[in-house]
Amino acid sequence: MSTGAVTPAVAFCRRFTILILFLLFVSLAPAQPLQYQRPVDTAPQEKSIGGGYKTPPVQKPLPRDRWLQVLDVALLGFATGAAVWLVLKRRTRKGLAWLSIGSLAYFGFYRQGCICPIGSIQNVALALADPRYSIPLVATAMFFIPLVVALFFGRAFCGAVCPLGAIQDVVVLKPIQTPRVLDRVLGLLKYVYLGLAIFFAVRPGLARDFLICRFDPFVGFFRRTGAPHMLLLGGAFLVLGMFVGRPYCRYLCPYGALLSWCTRLARRGVTITPNKELDCGLCAGACPFGAIDKMRAVRKDCLYCARCFAACPRDPRSRL
Amino acid sequence: MSDLTRRDLLGTAIRGSVLAAMGGGALFLVRKAHGQILWQVDAARCINSRLGEVGVEACSLCTTECVVALSAVRAVNEYSKCGRCNICPAYFNITSPVNELGQPSEKLCPRDAILRKPIGKVDPEDPANNFYEYLIDEAKCDGCGKCVLKCKEPLGLGSIVLKVRYDLCVNCNRCAISEKCPKDALRQLSVGQALG
Repeated sequence: MSTGAVTPAVAFCRRFTILILFLLFVSLAPAQPLQYQRPVDTAPQEKSIGGGYKTPPVQKPLPRDRWLQVLDVALLGFATGAAVWLVLKRRTRKGLAWLSIGSLAYFGFYRQGCICPIGSIQNVALALADPRYSIPLVATAMFFIPLVVALFFGRAFCGAVCPLGAIQDVVVLKPIQTPRVLDRVLGLLKYVYLGLAIFFAVRPGLARDFLICRFDPFVGFFRRTGAPHMLLLGGAFLVLGMFVGRPYCRYLCPYGALLSWCTRLARRGVTITPNKELDCGLCAGACPFGAIDKMRAVRKDCLYCARCFAACPRDPRSRL
Repeated sequence: MSDLTRRDLLGTAIRGSVLAAMGGGALFLVRKAHGQILWQVDAARCINSRLGEVGVEACSLCTTECVVALSAVRAVNEYSKCGRCNICPAYFNITSPVNELGQPSEKLCPRDAILRKPIGKVDPEDPANNFYEYLIDEAKCDGCGKCVLKCKEPLGLGSIVLKVRYDLCVNCNRCAISEKCPKDALRQLSVGQALG
């Protein structure tokens, strides 16, 4: 049996196979999809223009850097911590006023009031309710940091970090003591506002609305522009704020409602300590927010402005 | 003394449970989070940007509704798609009378934000083969969309589109433009989608 010999039958089979393969290939080729092309490439490109022409880069102003967002959170945490230390440990208003002006400049005028923990209530509520909606880590941190601090040390956030509080704090000129009953009744408004804000934020689709942002009275000042009626409302709040200390914080702020709940559970808070103080009442007269009742600080209403300590004739170091 | 201790214990317990609840909520949100969300104009929806919308008035709601002083929306020329025409329908008001240079005498942009620069040497004998670069001055553009609307077939190639300028956009929870936009063209996208 010779190995090289090929019988005619085998040769025919081979040729037939090749023919079949060729036919298969030819029949398959047109089935490949045609590349879609624009009929005429009208826009001249670097090559067709010639002369060393370079296409200029398309301008792309990028959003805020990640590390700048982390800086926002870090500053929030730092400012809240500093406020706790100044009010509870140093018992002084001096540094606190500067801290609050710094917060107003940074979170208010530089960051233009966004992102803020007050507005983040809506995003957090929506993200918890809607499975398709989520919020960035920065927003989550912004929402929880002041609450956790309040759970241990009270609402120090209100005193020196919140830009909305700070802008009202600088206009406090001649605060009158509002009647306690009126204070209480108006104070209930913030719980209603909180409920409404969450209700509207979690509604589906076009019915959804972010009330807190829509009716933010001071964001127009932070942005130096805004709807005329909102600027007018903000101006009205500031004028009212000259005589009634921080009206938005005390009666409307929905985040203040959450903070005051947390503050009730706080281990430490602003105290006018029995037996250690003079009980002269200068502090109660100095409090523009009606948060000192019968010579004692009312924790849920105290906004950590430290005016009571500033008005105290005793040396703060002796009271520690 | 024991009363005080009991109260302390109760306080700690309540505080602990509130803290745990907040931690749980935060964990839930963090696990769900997928980075930053940005507003962007959907060119397929925007009246000014989308191709095929011819003979309508330019919609300038992006300019008038935005909460920042100069609207955060502005026109962007995708230079690689730009025809670099001699008589650009987005640069010139092509219905204005022709001046001595053979060009329409008026510009389209109300804020004069488009810069026309010849590319290479200009051959006055052959205007059809002279190319011009159209650069948009972002500091001037307020996103009125007039040029965007004109840069469309049959004259334009649709290289100019409206986009959100992220150095100006404050990323409002409820974008004021999106509330008024008749085509619902402002969409919240993740960073990658919005910048791509």
